[in-house]
Amino acid sequence: MLDKLKMTRRTFVKVSAGTAAAAAAAPRLLQAMEQELGGKDFNPVDLAERKAIPINCHVCNIQDGAIAYVENGRVVKLEGNPEHVSTRGRLCAKGNSGMWYSYDPDRILYPLKRVGARGEGKWKRITWDEALTEVAAKIREVLDRGEPNEICLKWGRNRTGGTLQRFMATLGSATVLNHTSVCESSKKVGMEPTWGPDIETPDFANTKYVLNFGSNVLEAAYFHNPLSQRITEGRVDNQMKIVTFDVRLSNTAGFSDEWIPVFPGTDGAVALAMGHVILRDDLQDSDFIETWTNVTVKELKEHYKPFTPEWASKISGVPAQTIERIAREFALTKPATLFTYRGPAKHLYGSYNEKACMMLPILTGNVETRGGYCLPRGMGWPQPMPEPPKAKKPSYLSTPPDYPLASHKVSHLVPFWIADGKQKVSVYFTYQDNPVYTNPGARAVWGKVLKDEKLIPFFVSMSSHMGEETALADIILPDCPYLERWEPESMPNSLWPWLGIRQPVHPYLGESRENRIILRDLIHKVDPDGKRGMKQYWDFKDAEDYMKRHFDNIPGLKEAGGLEFLKKHGVWPIYGTLDPKTGKIVDKTGREIKAEYGLHKKELSEADMAGAVVEKDGLIVKNGKAIGIRRNGKNCVGFPTKNRLINVRVDEWAEYGFNPMPTFKRIPWHETMKEDELVLTTFKLNVHKQSRTAAVKWLAEIAHSNPVWMNPRTAQKLGGIKTGDLVRIESRAGYLVTKAYVTEGIHPKVVAIPTSFGHWEYGRLATLRLKEKPAYGGTEDPDLKNVWWDDKGVHPNDIIPVVADPIGGSQGWMDTVVKVTKAGPNDKYGDVQGYWEKHYEAYKETLRYAYTGDLHRKMHPEMASWAGPESVKPKASGGGH
Amino acid sequence: MLHGLEIVEPRAQPAPPPEEEPEADGGLDYRIPLYRLLSGVFLEEPSVDFLAAVRTPEALAALAEAGLAFDGDFLAAPLPSLADVLAAEFTALFAASGGFPPVESVRLTGRYQQQPYFDVRQAYRQAGFTVTRGRFHVFEDQLGVELAFVAELLERCAAARAAGDEAGARRWEREVKRFWTLHLGRWVRGYARLVQRAAEHSFYREMARLLEAFAEQEIALLRLRVEDQDLGREVVPKSEVQVAFNPDEPVCNACPGSR
Repeated sequence: MLDKLKMTRRTFVKVSAGTAAAAAAAPRLLQAMEQELGGKDFNPVDLAERKAIPINCHVCNIQDGAIAYVENGRVVKLEGNPEHVSTRGRLCAKGNSGMWYSYDPDRILYPLKRVGARGEGKWKRITWDEALTEVAAKIREVLDRGEPNEICLKWGRNRTGGTLQRFMATLGSATVLNHTSVCESSKKVGMEPTWGPDIETPDFANTKYVLNFGSNVLEAAYFHNPLSQRITEGRVDNQMKIVTFDVRLSNTAGFSDEWIPVFPGTDGAVALAMGHVILRDDLQDSDFIETWTNVTVKELKEHYKPFTPEWASKISGVPAQTIERIAREFALTKPATLFTYRGPAKHLYGSYNEKACMMLPILTGNVETRGGYCLPRGMGWPQPMPEPPKAKKPSYLSTPPDYPLASHKVSHLVPFWIADGKQKVSVYFTYQDNPVYTNPGARAVWGKVLKDEKLIPFFVSMSSHMGEETALADIILPDCPYLERWEPESMPNSLWPWLGIRQPVHPYLGESRENRIILRDLIHKVDPDGKRGMKQYWDFKDAEDYMKRHFDNIPGLKEAGGLEFLKKHGVWPIYGTLDPKTGKIVDKTGREIKAEYGLHKKELSEADMAGAVVEKDGLIVKNGKAIGIRRNGKNCVGFPTKNRLINVRVDEWAEYGFNPMPTFKRIPWHETMKEDELVLTTFKLNVHKQSRTAAVKWLAEIAHSNPVWMNPRTAQKLGGIKTGDLVRIESRAGYLVTKAYVTEGIHPKVVAIPTSFGHWEYGRLATLRLKEKPAYGGTEDPDLKNVWWDDKGVHPNDIIPVVADPIGGSQGWMDTVVKVTKAGPNDKYGDVQGYWEKHYEAYKETLRYAYTGDLHRKMHPEMASWAGPESVKPKASGGGH
Repeated sequence: MLHGLEIVEPRAQPAPPPEEEPEADGGLDYRIPLYRLLSGVFLEEPSVDFLAAVRTPEALAALAEAGLAFDGDFLAAPLPSLADVLAAEFTALFAASGGFPPVESVRLTGRYQQQPYFDVRQAYRQAGFTVTRGRFHVFEDQLGVELAFVAELLERCAAARAAGDEAGARRWEREVKRFWTLHLGRWVRGYARLVQRAAEHSFYREMARLLEAFAEQEIALLRLRVEDQDLGREVVPKSEVQVAFNPDEPVCNACPGSR
């Protein structure tokens, strides 16, 4: 062995000085990453800095922080807001294209009144005064009859911060409908009674293992921008493993370590079988279960016994070995998390599926841990005072008695209930909605009912675009797109709560107005002298004044400047700064802002406990309200449920004859599928949302057609179908003719069609009626001459029948059984035909699964002791968005 | 027991006191060039320019005074042929099969691209650095890259101090300590001893001595307690890799023949 060098600082200094040239000549492979901070933009010609106005994006519903750059009063660029802790300066393709809503040459800029037959497309321009006077007269007529519930308002996307609800409460109507049952309502209802909130926040960035059931979060699911950033971090920086169960090889499945194709609607069975393995092999977190849930490990072990991997394998097609392996990997890897979206939830028993999935992080104690399955973090804001009282009478349409647990409504069944005379509608308002396109049955159902002047005598649409539904209206009140309006905003789209605003980046175009101004002026017309007591709730100068009342008294924000702070920054609080080197939000010391975990373990303060009573089971009650739970000698806030625990057993479900414990119900008509039958599913692409993006130029150019995905084995069986061949897809409710896309990336028993295509309204670009003259105050558009594609796609919703989850009320989008054949000689590309009678039959059949229906008991033999629907007092559902 | 060496669980040892109190600025002015020099030695085959810079009379005198004793194979060989010889020696020692790659993952786990690789990559990313290709691909946890990273951190520390940002300077110092504790400190000393034993050419033998001495000096200066886990092993046993996936597992029960 050589002698060790005995060096002192002095000799090091000498060596360093002597070898300085060598040090300088050493190769350097470590380089600073280049990343612009964002937040500034310049005119490329004169380098003048553009005006930057922070907003919240609203092309879809993720609510990314954004900045609009304005030059000469025109939005020239949109990009992410670097001060926003959730989205950290990034916007997706949709967000980057948002200005094309504002500048769409086919946008509606003036109030319009129908002059031909409904849907004929004949309009005349009227003044705001004429429009509001006519609508107000219809409202007064209904109010004077004492039947306010005959005034109905249905929204598709409501980010008004409470204005629409205020409007309906002012009128005294409870007939408020939303879109959630065609969205993710059974996911929400699967979660809410269990742990409180209706969504989870998986800590992807810090996890080591992700189970993804049926979510394409890198493209489309809720919070795809902020969550896909964290998924990428987890995958690249933390080497997490991600396993995706999906019928289709989505881009998220492709990004995953494993894509496991699963038969539609059977995710819940797979999740239960994983739970079985975890409990059988004693891999559960017993301490968490015993401390924080309302069941014991012993009960769970007993309950999960029948759900074996072999049982789930037969149902789902997922090999039992795979279920065993993934279950063990998930249970033995810490931290681990789980995410779901439409895959499990959009089925007849979607709520059960969701519940079965969320049990996995609960069983393994991965709840509210770093890298685990966390509660959402959101912020609220106060409403301007005074507030109108709630409506006095319940509405059948918004709180249908057959669906008492569907806390987010069952709006997709509304046309059938109207047709059945369950509730009269005299004035129908719609806001940012388009069920004639987006709902099951589409024009065959919603189109038929909205066209019928006997069923809907007066129809008012508040819309910026001539969508399929708006085209059937009697009066159109031109709403403005999101870049021209004020709105409060908050979304639990990361582990850091925030408040934000949308603010106008330029004045309204034409005579369009923002919704809260339209509604204020309408109420002032209905109650001009205030004698009806309505005007007092709409006493504000302008929309900015309304925003001040939301934001100027929020503790913390108030001190920071209230609305003025939000106008400047777009978001509050500002947690730190975006580090240009890493793209992460960091604190003053340069470290990434850390999230807070273990919210349920947060201890109540002495002030909270003053006057509180600790009950026998540990529940802490104050003024008749549960405020926390004592666990291990500590007074914790617990989970936001009535008993402050995670309710693995949901007793409320049992009241209505549903299984209160995690379970799975196979879709009966899937069990009896014939060899030549397939399941039709739908999905979204990353550049489109439900219906409102087909007219956005940049996005339409990227994706404009939607062939049906089909496995090569399936294509072979059908006589050798090749990509591009025409196929006819026939469901119980109708048929369509489209092109095939043959790919290994789909389950052989499934065909899948992306939505957002095949519009018959929504302007010249969406419909490819390029040579038509502009209408409704629109303008010529030279860009239309540059449209190089001639395929607008085919819309599948006309042939998808309604299915309603008897618990969560959700539409079973992925339950449709179809037959696919090669197109016949008389079939043309784009043929679509749905039949009202067939859809009506499907509606009647789905009612049979409701707790009041004759199939309910048959589907729940384990609930034999339930005393039947007569034993429960009907309870109004509702709420939610 | 492996090759006469007992692997022991790392135990925290008290840090030896520094021989002399460091200057107020932490000796950044001399430490940064030393990191750069040693990074240059071990990062890739030395270029003629680099060798010429090491062989200047000033450099050789300073190195000799420090106790480095190069042989004639380094001192007397013409530069172009020296570069060729050292390229062959570099390959034999550090790049070809049978050698001892100066890569943290290999030294600590017996495999390339294991946990240390991901950890240092994350550390680089958090500090805003990325590793680019040199003459050849280089792993992120290669010795030369890790030393260069510390040099970069110390540069930032110096810049912060020059700007009067003492808090910022301390933050970068903490990053250096963290990196030494989690990475360099765990393997460099033992590895340097192995190179001293294995090198045929005096250039690498002596530079490895310098590396060992410098590493010990840094650990003392930074007041760290970090155990050498490399131990200069010639053969590093491969760490256990759990392969849960069964390649014979059927893909999907819906596919015929997979049940």
